[in-house]
Amino acid sequence: MTVDDERVSKARQGDREAFRRLVEGETRPLYAVAARITRDPGLAEDAVQEALLNAWRHLGDFDGRANFRTWLHRITVNAALEQLRKRSGREQFLADAGNADGAEDFLAAHADELPGPEQLAGGGEIGRQVQQQLERMTHLERSAFVLRHHEGQSLEEICGVLAINVSACKQAIFRAVRKLRGALEPLR
Amino acid sequence: MNSIRDDDLVLYHYRDGLTAGELAAIGQALRESAPLRARYAVLCATLQAVDAQPAATADAGLEQRLWQRWEEQTGSDGVPDRRHADTLRGAGRVRHRAGARPLLRHAATALAVVAALGVGFLIGRQPAGPQAPTPKPDVAAVGKSELSSRVLDAYVAAHLRETEGVVLTAVNSDSAALLAGNRELAAGLIDSNRLYAQAAARAGNARLANFLQQLEPLLIELANPAGTASVQSSDGLRDYVDKTDLLFQLRATQARIEPQRPTTI
Repeated sequence: MTVDDERVSKARQGDREAFRRLVEGETRPLYAVAARITRDPGLAEDAVQEALLNAWRHLGDFDGRANFRTWLHRITVNAALEQLRKRSGREQFLADAGNADGAEDFLAAHADELPGPEQLAGGGEIGRQVQQQLERMTHLERSAFVLRHHEGQSLEEICGVLAINVSACKQAIFRAVRKLRGALEPLR
Repeated sequence: MNSIRDDDLVLYHYRDGLTAGELAAIGQALRESAPLRARYAVLCATLQAVDAQPAATADAGLEQRLWQRWEEQTGSDGVPDRRHADTLRGAGRVRHRAGARPLLRHAATALAVVAALGVGFLIGRQPAGPQAPTPKPDVAAVGKSELSSRVLDAYVAAHLRETEGVVLTAVNSDSAALLAGNRELAAGLIDSNRLYAQAAARAGNARLANFLQQLEPLLIELANPAGTASVQSSDGLRDYVDKTDLLFQLRATQARIEPQRPTTI
């Protein structure tokens, strides 16, 4: 039994200190993923808060098959999505509008003019453009992209979290990448 | 694969959503085709640009706030169990149902505003001054006043959230269909904004009343833009929103007046 397993077991029996030790190292990574999805510090903090509460109250549902951290991340992602849903009931409207972007190819070949690592890391114009494009995404597009790109979840897992089918999930990620591609446009 | 689309390259990059045969075919095509490699390089550069963005970091007080609130929220909890889940899911359903019935919501809003205005009006009509003896606080009257204030706050918070959504859409969207819908939403918010401003003024909340009054010209402008959604007009709006810190003000006012909400899973 690992230290985490022991803490999970104790926390299930109501040991608050064990739960706290189990989770406390994770709060900042959880905040980072919530902030990526919500793009709002206040909503991200609310999402983590809700995730901690839900994790504590639903610890009995954790069956130990998944890693505890993975389980906690999943709860946080759901809490972040819930924050977005609370904030805007017009997501579907926005998502539908996004479908009008078209499915044509968007990766025009200008490889020789691509930014180098130092430009990418240096922030500045590219960073601003990326931020702007992330803001432009619908909640669905951004959530699907964050889960696939940053969280490394499979399309199937993302479908489960976002309650959409595989085709819709793929399209959301494609639209997100298409918008991000626009961030490099001014450099051409 | 006969023609490899950019979307296929996205799936190839994540090694997800493609069969083993399709992955192999794209890999082979990438080795053989320089133009395809160039397209793939653009995709990789795009995603690297995303990776290069620093992750959001919270301030130093995050943990303290989280655990303090967690202690408050779970203070009376015993052993974690499933009973809470049912309660929480029930609360979520109630809210979901409310969200699915806009007519009912609008009717409730109208009733609440009328009630808040009525209570505010009655409070305003009460004689005040040195001749009015106040030996003991009237608990019932205080309760009603607080209740009407909370009702008003809850509806104003929802109103501000909708206003924020309308502003964000107007600033960020290029879609004509979306902007047309957004104009209708803005038009629908003008009257309620005026009512809430009056109710806030009657309740003695001058700060909120002023803020809402300042929103009215913007809502009118969003509902009746000078021309069609031109680049110039959206740029002008963006500048206005940036310069006045409008979104921040909207969120800050929401946070100030929003009642504590129960959590859901």
